[in-house]
Amino acid sequence: MKKIFVTILFASVALGATYGLTSAQPASDAERRQLILKGAKLWPIYCNQCHNARPPSEKAPYEWDLEIMHMRSLGNIPAENVRALIEYLKSR
Amino acid sequence: MKSLMKARTAAGLLALIGLVMIPRLGFAADAPGADDMRAIKSELQELKQDRLRDREEIHDLKGRVEQLEGENKQLKAASSQIQTEQTQTTQVVKQIQEQSKAGPSPSQVSSAFSRYLGSHTFLVTGTAGFSYIYAPQSGGINDIPRQRQNTFVSDWEPMILYRPNDWMLFQGILSAAFGSTGTSVDLSSAEFHIFPTDHMEILLGLFDNPFGDWYETQSPMWVNRFITAPLPFGVEAVIPAAEMGVQLRGGYQWGQVGQDWDYTVWGGNGPSFSTTSNGLDAVGATMSAPTPAAFARTNSKSVGARFRIYPIPVDADWGRLELGVSTYNGKWTAGRWLHGWGVDFNYFVGNLQTRGEWLQSYRQMPSGFSSDNRQGGYLQLGYFLNGIDLPFLPEAVNKHVNRLEPLIRFSMVNQRATLVDDINSATGIGMGGSRVGLVPDFGLSGSPALFAPKSREVAFGLDYWISPSIVWQNEFDLEVPQRGGVFLDKNGIATTVGRRVQRDHVFLSQFTIGF
Repeated sequence: MKKIFVTILFASVALGATYGLTSAQPASDAERRQLILKGAKLWPIYCNQCHNARPPSEKAPYEWDLEIMHMRSLGNIPAENVRALIEYLKSR
Repeated sequence: MKSLMKARTAAGLLALIGLVMIPRLGFAADAPGADDMRAIKSELQELKQDRLRDREEIHDLKGRVEQLEGENKQLKAASSQIQTEQTQTTQVVKQIQEQSKAGPSPSQVSSAFSRYLGSHTFLVTGTAGFSYIYAPQSGGINDIPRQRQNTFVSDWEPMILYRPNDWMLFQGILSAAFGSTGTSVDLSSAEFHIFPTDHMEILLGLFDNPFGDWYETQSPMWVNRFITAPLPFGVEAVIPAAEMGVQLRGGYQWGQVGQDWDYTVWGGNGPSFSTTSNGLDAVGATMSAPTPAAFARTNSKSVGARFRIYPIPVDADWGRLELGVSTYNGKWTAGRWLHGWGVDFNYFVGNLQTRGEWLQSYRQMPSGFSSDNRQGGYLQLGYFLNGIDLPFLPEAVNKHVNRLEPLIRFSMVNQRATLVDDINSATGIGMGGSRVGLVPDFGLSGSPALFAPKSREVAFGLDYWISPSIVWQNEFDLEVPQRGGVFLDKNGIATTVGRRVQRDHVFLSQFTIGF
């Protein structure tokens, strides 16, 4: 049991460590626009999978910063798509 | 004649001499004196000095002219600069005026507000609900009394999110309810989320069991399309509802956008089960609820894993499909295991959404007991009437029809036995109590068939969506328990179920807000 758990643990750490940190920001306005467009496409897909997609205008941008971390965890959403979603939700 | 020639020659010579001498005699008469010469010299000297002064003056004047020319150039440059600055100022003023008319942009307000809030942010979210339950409970099972329900219940589940930076989050959920037996408060979850990399999260604390989908994502009142939980996640759970431990989780995109897979692995304190009032471990005992998980008998740690895949790309416009598989293994007492596994799916496209799970568990029991096997599952389907225009109805009615979502769900649980003590101390809402926590987070359990060893339920729902997170839900449950299995009393004496299996029905209505 312990061997299995330790193996899974190290495999997960190795998988997770292969990419950079979450806090990367868009490099330019053009990149930001691309992320917003991508986020607008992903928003109804990722959100509706579990619950009705809530309009970006429902919450203040700083509130989306917290909500999206919560949702990223629940949905195990890939980080690059999390960035697109947060840019869209905060762009309204 | 000769004399005349001589005379003429002499006269010519005299004349020549005269011509030569006369001018010399004249100069000699006008020649200046010494005074004149001094005067002339003095004048010459003065003239030289005048010339020198003139030259100096000319030099000074040249310098002055150059200076003036330089100053003139500077003035011209300054004038040009002033004109440029004036133009720029005019443009800035114009821009400010336009901005003033349009107001600050959201990003400017956001930036200013973020500075005002500081880097540590805090948010209270969650859900609240008000429910009515009518369960006539026309009869018990095998004469075990059942309690009628005709009551209102109020439930408030605040979730606190605290974000100290962009890679850390704390999440805590409290469950507070007021029902027929009073008020109760419970801690549903207390989680530290750490995001060290893009594709891995470390989660520490008391958390909903990430087995399948329902415990983790479908239990909040406004998220669950129904008011009650499906039978496998009620008080007779097939897999424990919560764990105290550590998770590693993350997601990857493996193909086009939307084609993802994700993993969750965890370890915790392990499962726990109720005992009879005489302290016996018995088949069919209730599994731990979230709070008891924190005090569970920790004979050994449990481990679990879940993998899910999403095969449909977003650009295909075929909706979203999730396929998942989960395992859970842990010792519930010294040397005895609980093994569980499950599969799940959900799919939505357009107005249609459907989901389902199947899960099984096997608990090793002390000698003299048969093993405690449990199986359960549910299948749910709903269709939003949004966008549907019924031509025979007026627009005012269609507007309300568009907010409706009809639903149907079938759920079931099979187990070998049920403890009579568990039934008599029933605590799930809808079973004579108001205690929350039997189902993680916000889910209610109002199904009177729960304590039949082989429970079956068909639930019909009609949701009226006021907004994406505000809903008035209505549910009608048909309880159709099957024969089979046994009831165990506090001494472990078994009574076969089958002499009389009472069917029943329940109506529930709930107004709930996700905030």
